[in-house]
Amino acid sequence: MDSGQVLAMVMLVSVCGAMLVGYQVAFTLAGVGVVFALIGQSMGVFDMLFFNALPSRFFGVMTNELLVAVPLFVYMGVMLEKSKIAEELLTTMGQCFGQLRGGLGISVTFVGMLLAATTGIVGATVVTMGLLSLPTMLRANYDPKLACGTICAAGTLGQIIPPSVVLVLLGDVLAGMYSEAQLSIGNFLFEPFSVIDLFAGAVIPGLLLVALYFGWQVIIAFLRPAASPAYYDSSMNRSHLAGQIVKVLIPPLFLILAVLGSILGGLATPTEAASFGAVGAMFLAATRKMLNWKILGEVVRSTTRISCMVFGILIGASLFSLTFRGLGGDEVVEHFLLSLPGGTVTALIFVMILIFLLGFILEFIEIVFIVVPIFAPALLKTDINPIWLGIMIGLNLQTSFMTPPFGWALFYLRGVAPKKIKTGDIYRGVTPFVVLQLIALCILAYFPQLATWLPKQLFG
Amino acid sequence: MPAVISLFSRIADYIDTINRKVGQTVAWLAFSMAIVTFTVATLRYGFSLGWVWLQETFVWMHGSIIMLAMAYTLMAGGHVRVDIFYRTASVKYRALVDLLGTFLLLLPSLYVVAKYTIPYVVLSWSRLEVSQETGGLPGLFLFKSTMLAFFTLLFLQAISIIIRSSTALVTGEYVKESGEDFEGGQGG
Repeated sequence: MDSGQVLAMVMLVSVCGAMLVGYQVAFTLAGVGVVFALIGQSMGVFDMLFFNALPSRFFGVMTNELLVAVPLFVYMGVMLEKSKIAEELLTTMGQCFGQLRGGLGISVTFVGMLLAATTGIVGATVVTMGLLSLPTMLRANYDPKLACGTICAAGTLGQIIPPSVVLVLLGDVLAGMYSEAQLSIGNFLFEPFSVIDLFAGAVIPGLLLVALYFGWQVIIAFLRPAASPAYYDSSMNRSHLAGQIVKVLIPPLFLILAVLGSILGGLATPTEAASFGAVGAMFLAATRKMLNWKILGEVVRSTTRISCMVFGILIGASLFSLTFRGLGGDEVVEHFLLSLPGGTVTALIFVMILIFLLGFILEFIEIVFIVVPIFAPALLKTDINPIWLGIMIGLNLQTSFMTPPFGWALFYLRGVAPKKIKTGDIYRGVTPFVVLQLIALCILAYFPQLATWLPKQLFG
Repeated sequence: MPAVISLFSRIADYIDTINRKVGQTVAWLAFSMAIVTFTVATLRYGFSLGWVWLQETFVWMHGSIIMLAMAYTLMAGGHVRVDIFYRTASVKYRALVDLLGTFLLLLPSLYVVAKYTIPYVVLSWSRLEVSQETGGLPGLFLFKSTMLAFFTLLFLQAISIIIRSSTALVTGEYVKESGEDFEGGQGG
């Protein structure tokens, strides 16, 4: 390693330290990038000319049409939430299936899948699900441990179920790196890879996960009936229920399937489909008289803050990576990964464990912009399929987010759960779901076709 | 001493108001962006109609939101932190992190961004640059100028943070914005 590369490694350690202290991630990344560039320049190992690329990088982010999908998906999710469509969905599903043993748990999983698919932000989903469904489940005499585990698992599902914001971002990052990596090893005939492939690839693994969750709820319902009892709501009118389901469940379900279908069917770009989602969500809100200036104002402001949070990290990370690569840090990482005994497999396992651990302190978006650009290029130069890699990363992070004691989802649920629920209950409740996640991860690791088959069928 | 503090905190209030107003106004672009994108898609698939300028309109709206509302998001506490320690730490710790972070990380970044984007925007103005696409929007130089607003608004917000965090170090009380626009890291 030359002194520039040593500096790059010091930079990597410093950015971890600086983030742990608690300053905003976006500005920590940018600041560490800039400070180390100045240090590097004074040591004569960094050329500030690299920063000439800065304005065009900014401009690239500002004019990237694909990234417009991010605020539009967020808009859709926030609209569904603020207009109480999500809430009613959960209540109605609960009334409908709650009369079966384990039915409430299945409903929560299902709604989590739908809800989270749109926002893709762990915190927002777990908090919403926790506020809405935990009281209901506890009132229905569910085992608090099972209730907490179900909510954490359902809240993190949206990371991997398309259309999710993080998959858009991950796809954008991986696509750029994949073509660069393939060209750098002299392969000019590689099959191009895009966000749409990642969406298609996520469908089967996502459904596999949902099936595992459903299966677990059913098993619990049979083995420990007291843990997930049937739920009778006296205020419930059974004849009324069928109409209620049609009214509450079908429209948002149709909306999300239409958005996803138009992308996978090749009818619309993710951005266009996201705009259908956003406008469709407003339409649904209007049909239930929940579309007014006050709610609209809350939705646009919330969308703006979440989008700026995402793009702040993107911009900060691009400043960071400008310096990191300028110092030659990417070569150190590549050299290290490829020199591990056992070749590609060990390198992949190493990166997966690293991402799992980093998932304790970083959100998905940060991993996508910080960790993936550092470690993935080396992997993408091998024969690893980028779709499979992307889905593995997604599934892995989702597991990390609900693993005690540091998983994000657990903190967020702790924040909204009543005091009588012990933190230990949350930890014990989520453990079986972590095991289910690991099972899914192993299945996907051994059968990459689960991720790669559908994209191949759809797009050849 | 308290007189000085109240003078500075008035400045901080003033800055926060500027960024709140800018942010809340710019936020409505999210609504227009949804409508315009929807229109573009509908026209294309429904009527096989399409104009480059309309396409650019929603992309530019998106770019403007990012550039103009970044400081508002900072003001409203919308940027995420790794808050394992920060969340439970004392007022003084949090104020110190904010103060040092702003001096050592945020301000240097803004300096570099300003240094490299100003010539870029000036060049664009000197040509009164228009969109490179045929049939695209005029006024690309204005769109690029949002980069100047980006670091200027963030710089103002940095001053506000410095005032509030150093005040907190003296008084032990950390005044931050409250209400709908301050909802902690995750926003909606």
